[in-house]
Amino acid sequence: MPWHNWATTTQTCDLTMMAKTAVSFSTLILAGLLVTAVPQSSHTAFPVSDTFSSPTPDEGQDRRLHSLQAKYRSLAMQLSKLKPHQPYILVDTARNHLYVKRQDEIVLDAIASTGSGTILDKPGEGHDQWVFDTPRGEFFVQSKLTNPAWVKPDWAFIEEGLEVPKNPTDRVEQGVLGEYALGFGKGYFIHGTLYTRMLGKNVTHGCIRLNDGDLKSVYQFARVGTPIIIF
Amino acid sequence: MILCAVLVLLLASSIPGQAGETDSFPGLDLKNPAAIQEATRVLEEEVKLASRPQTYLLLDLVTRTIQIKGRGVELHRMAITTWSARGLHELKGSHRLIARPPVLRRKIDPTASVEQEPISLADMPVDYTLSFTPPLSVDVMPTAEESPFRWIRARGQTWWRDLQDSWSTNRPATQNPYLRLEVSAEQAQSLAWSLVDGMALVIRRPTDKR
Repeated sequence: MPWHNWATTTQTCDLTMMAKTAVSFSTLILAGLLVTAVPQSSHTAFPVSDTFSSPTPDEGQDRRLHSLQAKYRSLAMQLSKLKPHQPYILVDTARNHLYVKRQDEIVLDAIASTGSGTILDKPGEGHDQWVFDTPRGEFFVQSKLTNPAWVKPDWAFIEEGLEVPKNPTDRVEQGVLGEYALGFGKGYFIHGTLYTRMLGKNVTHGCIRLNDGDLKSVYQFARVGTPIIIF
Repeated sequence: MILCAVLVLLLASSIPGQAGETDSFPGLDLKNPAAIQEATRVLEEEVKLASRPQTYLLLDLVTRTIQIKGRGVELHRMAITTWSARGLHELKGSHRLIARPPVLRRKIDPTASVEQEPISLADMPVDYTLSFTPPLSVDVMPTAEESPFRWIRARGQTWWRDLQDSWSTNRPATQNPYLRLEVSAEQAQSLAWSLVDGMALVIRRPTDKR
């Protein structure tokens, strides 16, 4: 091999070696950075293995602590994922407030009226009763209505000592629920009221009443499927 | 340049959201194995309860708070002034409410011309006992400063029950665990209002020696 060729080959070899070294070095740095950045919430971040040979008591305790920390973080993450990630409606029936919340932020705080907790005997010989509570738990907006009409149920007539009408059209009453209503199942609605002086009190038959302005805001904010948490 | 961009993106996506993760119990000493173990036990129960649409109670004896929660979200928080307990170390899992003070509901009289008064927070009791399954009794009583007579009466009832329990030698204390909570009258009424039949309860116990 001529010298100059050898020299060229050596130079080429050197360049190839340098490139390879640079790539290997970059790969090592990348791997190192990724390893340090792996989330510690994962159980695999702190592998507790029995294959280690005779750990000292301190090492054993450290591994146990790391394992506990990893489990705690993993569970905290799981719990966090169960929280509503979209805006939601929160109703406090004890203090008669409705909130619109986006995670921890209160977007709207409205005075409401919720269930009165009173009871009314159902007609007949049985001991059945209507209990006028606002239901508790998690619900979802199922319907959004504008200019809703109230189709009065049996109790609305019975509590006033009136006959229950046989003609369904006699049950319909316009203008008492405000301009909007949001249904959340089993006949319960968030709606308006003519009796705004009763807001802040437990006076309803289970529905949630708001004043006109707050009702409009909630109607504009909510979508079908928006969660409603009531306690 | 492209390698750098990829590297930055990879790093950004792999950085954990530590703040959000450890928010469950702020102030938890992550160097204390017993405290983490207890917090983990509570979180395990909470993950099960928060996957259902019902609200539940978290009684945090470490922070002295009663929390009404739903889907893992703290909906309302009440302060505990003082507490005492027996047999709590044996408790596992969560409990279900089986008995609570009756709510005196007013009945609507269709023939009456005067409208019935609705129930309100003020109608709720301030001292009462809640029974749970697996067996656990929770006595809620007002503070001595706020309602001295009620406090004396509630204390008397608890002492009488303790005395009866100590006489019945066949029943170990762990079979009859109880918790006594002193809270303000307003908080006691607020708790009574928020209870629902069958409501779940999880207790976070302190791990330091009291």
